[in-house]
Amino acid sequence: MSIVPDDDHEAVAVEPTTAPTDQQDTTSSAPPDTATAPAPGTRGRRHQALTRLRGDIPRSVQLGLGALGVLGLLGGWTVLATTMGSESFLLPTPAEAWSAGLDLYRSGDLTADLSASGQRIVIGYGISISIGVVLGVLIGSFRSAAAFVEPQVALLRYIPATALTPLFLLWLGIDEAPKIALIVVGTVFYNVLMVADVARAVPRELINASYTLGAGRLTILRRVLLPHSWPGIIDVARVNLAAAWLMLVVAELLAAQEGLAFRVVRAQRFRQVDTMFALLIVFAAIGLVSDLLLRALRNRTAPWSEGSRWV
Amino acid sequence: MGVISVDAVTKSFPVGRRVEPLVALDGVDMHVDAGELVSIVGVSGCGKTTLLNIVGGLETATTGEVRIDGDIVVGPGPDRGMVFQSYSLFPWKSVTRNIAFGLECARWPKARRRERIDELLGITGLTEFARHRPDQLSGGMRQRVAIARALAPEPDVLLLDEPFGSLDAQTKRAMQDFLLSVRALTNATVLLVTHDVSEAIYLSQRVYVMAARPGRVLEEVAVPFGTVRGPGVLRDARFLDLRDEIEDLLHGVSRRRAQLQGDAGPGTDVDPIAGTQRTGDVGGQRFR
Repeated sequence: MSIVPDDDHEAVAVEPTTAPTDQQDTTSSAPPDTATAPAPGTRGRRHQALTRLRGDIPRSVQLGLGALGVLGLLGGWTVLATTMGSESFLLPTPAEAWSAGLDLYRSGDLTADLSASGQRIVIGYGISISIGVVLGVLIGSFRSAAAFVEPQVALLRYIPATALTPLFLLWLGIDEAPKIALIVVGTVFYNVLMVADVARAVPRELINASYTLGAGRLTILRRVLLPHSWPGIIDVARVNLAAAWLMLVVAELLAAQEGLAFRVVRAQRFRQVDTMFALLIVFAAIGLVSDLLLRALRNRTAPWSEGSRWV
Repeated sequence: MGVISVDAVTKSFPVGRRVEPLVALDGVDMHVDAGELVSIVGVSGCGKTTLLNIVGGLETATTGEVRIDGDIVVGPGPDRGMVFQSYSLFPWKSVTRNIAFGLECARWPKARRRERIDELLGITGLTEFARHRPDQLSGGMRQRVAIARALAPEPDVLLLDEPFGSLDAQTKRAMQDFLLSVRALTNATVLLVTHDVSEAIYLSQRVYVMAARPGRVLEEVAVPFGTVRGPGVLRDARFLDLRDEIEDLLHGVSRRRAQLQGDAGPGTDVDPIAGTQRTGDVGGQRFR
């Protein structure tokens, strides 16, 4: 039986470095301060909220830790940039990158690049997702469709899409078409196969229940399989969007007159490292924003789905 | 209407080359009259769910056939409503929309549809929860929605596959009484699959006892209680005798082994497989 008063444990909480955390040590080192009625002993070990395995932490702490991490990243970057000395033009400080970004925005180039790149992504990735949903749901729903399409997809998806770039340039010229084609080819196979998995995950019993309620195959496809797959489809779109941007960058590096990646190459040519950094941050911001938007869409349109309750 | 007749139904699954196919059902005969509530009890693996799926048209018999009112079953249809253990509700649809699904498939006019939904919400006591989604309901409520959804298109037959299997004991009792009260309001024939012997006796007019490997009907037992059931039935001596009798049938093989070892006392020399040499004829009247 331990006769440690509760205060000792709070002391542990406040000064973890001075007070021993092990309960038995506490018993031997801390003498009971009052000789009167001994406080009830304790069993088990109290845990700190922050260090508990899978413990819940307050929202404010969660946001604070996140902000701390980002500030740490910026701080580290600043320190690194200011200690570069003569090579300092190779690594601008965050402030320099920010002002370079502002300049780019004021010149109107940033807006033009954003809309050029954005348009390519929207068209290319839109086509890719559309194909992915149609083929994926078919593969996931009909064994015959799976038998026909899956071997083709399995074969084609191992061709690195980037290796097709020269071919696309040869076939489609250097305008928008090859860039969009590259985005489609670089993402469509992942979309098809992942959407197929999502459609396959629709419980057999749900389909059986629909049949016994008098639904035909088309009704089930449209009113059961598709709605059940919807949150999963959004997740697939979210995950593969990163690959779409990768393809866009490859396309713009090779041949483009405008676009974010084209601007990065151009800045490199003029040794504007600060502009390059500004553009990298723009890429990161676009990724973050589109991810949050797709999550919000999922939460809004499929609140019943498992993954929708936490963000 | 809603007469179910199962005629020499056999179902076997191929296991692999040079391996004998697995016989899930071996020449099963059953008959359920219109408006009757009949249960199938059996240990797991006796093919009772497979049989129910064949009646529902979700699986096909290897040989033999199932007829509903004389028509051969070739596939699923809204004349045979089904309820599954796992509820199988549409998780994105509200209670109302779940119940409406079958009515929409059958193209009921909107006004009639609303009327029917309101009626079913009233019967199931879910009026206040009409707009809730399944994930916002308790297990018992979900199963009531599933029953309402199956009943909505006015089926001739209601097929229940372990409907209360995943509910706690108290909810289960309440749901059994709910099923009896619903039955009084519709005249659908009900075929219930369960592994709970008490549930089978409490709810049904007749019980088919099935055995495994191969799945077959061991015995058909009539339940000597009227259509009005209640807690009194559970304490009735005949209920307890009948339950013991069916339990003995289900666990016949192990009981027989105990008998061989001389553990069983007199009066229990039951040969469950043949279902003959019995000393005390208890509970229900025997059909075969």
